[in-house]
Amino acid sequence: MSTRPAVPPSRPLLGRRTVLVAAILALGAVSGLAVGLRPADLVPHGRGWELTLEFLAAALRPALDHEAVSVPPGTPAFPLQVGAALLRTVAYALAAMSLAVVAAAPLALLASGAWWRGRGRLGSGVRWAVRGLVVVLRSVHELLWAVLFLAAFGLSPATGLLALALPYAGTLAKVWSEILDEADPRPAAALEALGATPLTRFLFGILPVALPDVSAYAFYRLECCVRSAAVLGFFGIPTIGFLIARSFENLHYREVWAQLWALVAVVLVLEGWSARLRRRFVA
Amino acid sequence: MNAAARLAEVRALRRRRPRDRFLRGSLTALSAFVLGAWWWGDFGLVRLFASGRFARIGAFLRDQVAPAPLREGEGWGAAAAWAAEAWRTMGYEAAWRTLAIALAAMALAGVLAACVAPLASGALMTCDPFVPNTRHSTVCHVGWVVLRSLARLGAVLMRAVPEYVWAFLLLGLLGPTAWPAVLALAVHNGGILGRLGADTFENVPSGVPAALRSLGADRRQLLFAALLPTTFPRHLLFFFYRLETCVREATVLGMLGIVSLGYWVMEARARFRYDEMVFLVLLGVVLVLLADVASHLARRFAERSGPDHRGR
Repeated sequence: MSTRPAVPPSRPLLGRRTVLVAAILALGAVSGLAVGLRPADLVPHGRGWELTLEFLAAALRPALDHEAVSVPPGTPAFPLQVGAALLRTVAYALAAMSLAVVAAAPLALLASGAWWRGRGRLGSGVRWAVRGLVVVLRSVHELLWAVLFLAAFGLSPATGLLALALPYAGTLAKVWSEILDEADPRPAAALEALGATPLTRFLFGILPVALPDVSAYAFYRLECCVRSAAVLGFFGIPTIGFLIARSFENLHYREVWAQLWALVAVVLVLEGWSARLRRRFVA
Repeated sequence: MNAAARLAEVRALRRRRPRDRFLRGSLTALSAFVLGAWWWGDFGLVRLFASGRFARIGAFLRDQVAPAPLREGEGWGAAAAWAAEAWRTMGYEAAWRTLAIALAAMALAGVLAACVAPLASGALMTCDPFVPNTRHSTVCHVGWVVLRSLARLGAVLMRAVPEYVWAFLLLGLLGPTAWPAVLALAVHNGGILGRLGADTFENVPSGVPAALRSLGADRRQLLFAALLPTTFPRHLLFFFYRLETCVREATVLGMLGIVSLGYWVMEARARFRYDEMVFLVLLGVVLVLLADVASHLARRFAERSGPDHRGR
């Protein structure tokens, strides 16, 4: 028995992966140069340094009370003010997500191949029209929707809610239709072979298989929606972003950090909850 | 067996179906929260629809959003010339600047994530990685848990704060360059990618790293010779998935006054040129679509770029 010398597997000097990573970094650097990023601009000028250091130091000492020497009479205590704004942020997210879920369910159904399989030209025509609608809903950022509504109707709580609900409905519909299409087709095929109607096939063959992923994704989007609702505050909707913008403009950095930490806490709670739910679904 | 007995059997089966108290509790709580939100929020959605303001949308589209040449009855040729002019004067610059900000931010986010992910992963940040059933002191154990948790907390803070808020804060501190937008996107996405990367490392089957460890590999060698090569395609998948969202987000950061698409949107609005504003919003749709297609192609490439582990 002859023993062959161990030959290490040949490896190109520049593998596909190295080239890819280098290309991403190079493209990033070129883009950065094109928009005029200079390392020197990263260093704050003049009073900017003091403010930056003050801002960073404030992270460890979030405010527990109003920083202003005097607040207008009738202003609620600082923790209450932040708590109410947070509650309103979550309420916006929940209401917007409930609208989005209701709108996305039929859209996801109509956009999925699983629903239209074997229904001819009309079916695929409807499917592509719905997909186009979903793409437009989703590709316009919620803040752009907000600005459009601002121009058309003025921004009120109701239009703010719609600005959140429309893109979220689009994203939900897109991902849900993908989940429906990726679901194991065998239960549905078995039901079809038994003579089930398309509706029965969908309700009992496809939906139960896809439901864990569908609900897990909706829960993840709720977390994103809380962040988006917070940002809507910058446009005058009284969520936590409204307070952040005001405190920062008044140079009350410790207030800003109290608000940021509170937002982080809410996002963390939601994330923990959804992670636990997902584990239950998978198990 | 008669029908009644059959029905009783079905009912008994139904009673014995698996039920999860946590799931049911969550569902009940969530429904209660949603009802509470609608009741307490008082959003006035019904009033908005009842007020007849939606009826004005037709007039708004006809008198404000339709391109100026069409409104003045100059026909589609003039409208095309109008669109070409809008592309030349604003659209072109808005488009390339938005894409460049997103690309620069994602490269930076990748670098940030590469630093955060190993530090936050429980696979490497333990006393004796990939050696089962070893005994070590409580100090050692607690020390590594604290280090790892700090990295995780950093990643959480980075991503829990929305990009727009980061950009607003950084703009106040750094002044009006492209840095606030790029850094904001990089920090948020770096946090997301760092956390996903850490989770990916933790899900690697222990075979390869344990073999290297038994040969005496240290943490750095475990990372570069075992964890990273086996999970590389998955990191690429996450990267390109975020790239698409990053372009979408980059369009609006301009509203803060940083030069991306959102800047020109707000500028057109300030001039009450709603036709140009809607033109720019639609341009944003095209940009996001392009990013969507590019990220789809890149993810297909990434899936083929090597063996993935079968974890997750």
